[in-house]
Amino acid sequence: MKDILRRHQVLKLEIVDVINKQIKMEAHSSSAYLAMAGWCDLQGYDNCADFFFKQSEEERKHQLKFFHYLTDMEAQAISPAIGDCQHDFENLRDVFETALDIEISVTDAIHDIVGVCRKHTDIATEEFMKWFVQEQIEEEYIARRALELFDVLGEDKIALGMIEEKILSVSYDGAN
Amino acid sequence: MSSKVMSSAIVFETLATSVSQCDRSEKFFLHFLEKPMELKLCELIGLKRKIENIDLTALVSSQGPDIEILYLSHQHPILVLSIYEILELREVLSGTFTMLELNSLIHKSIHRKFS
Repeated sequence: MKDILRRHQVLKLEIVDVINKQIKMEAHSSSAYLAMAGWCDLQGYDNCADFFFKQSEEERKHQLKFFHYLTDMEAQAISPAIGDCQHDFENLRDVFETALDIEISVTDAIHDIVGVCRKHTDIATEEFMKWFVQEQIEEEYIARRALELFDVLGEDKIALGMIEEKILSVSYDGAN
Repeated sequence: MSSKVMSSAIVFETLATSVSQCDRSEKFFLHFLEKPMELKLCELIGLKRKIENIDLTALVSSQGPDIEILYLSHQHPILVLSIYEILELREVLSGTFTMLELNSLIHKSIHRKFS
């Protein structure tokens, strides 16, 4: 009897489930960043708005990367329904605090997927996940550095103006 | 019964229901209704998930009829299932996947290792 299960199912069902869950999480993150971009734009923080528009696109790219991985592996990728996300913030710092919380949640979820891969000895998916592990190091670093600008510069009007100037140049150079 | 069904091997069966697989087409046949349902692996997995996700408690306690209507795809008939039929399908699909995983293990440890 042919091994149809192996010929047509590369991934274990639990792996498919956790990746579908991650697709939803990335979609929600993208949506949340879009809401932040909208808030910043309305408040006149144009550069911060651009920063979050870019973040929103990044999360969307992550979502698609996971989605394509599942379809490439002949598994069912589920286009998720996204719930409502936060649209109102107390101030600019609150937006960046929320952004860091999102990144930490995503990092935890990525690490959990690696854990599930190891449980099933799914070496291929673990290799695929390595890119996301690295990506999260960068994403968390940027979110943390952006938030540190508030600690360094303060939160008065002049400081917020400086944060506006600096935000687009916050980047991660790698672990050098 | 079609020739494709005739050439298939039983994977798992209960008294009333069975699942067989055809090595040539690499498809499965669910012998449940009058006409066997031809399913690809991903469709069989999808059916198993849908059956498992049915909330039987809610179904029993609902005011309406104790049936669940399942839509798989345009290629398949809509399934109208009683509670008994849901339990029957759960059993046969659970057994089927256990046997498929066992077959996969055998292939991995014997056939692929020594070929």
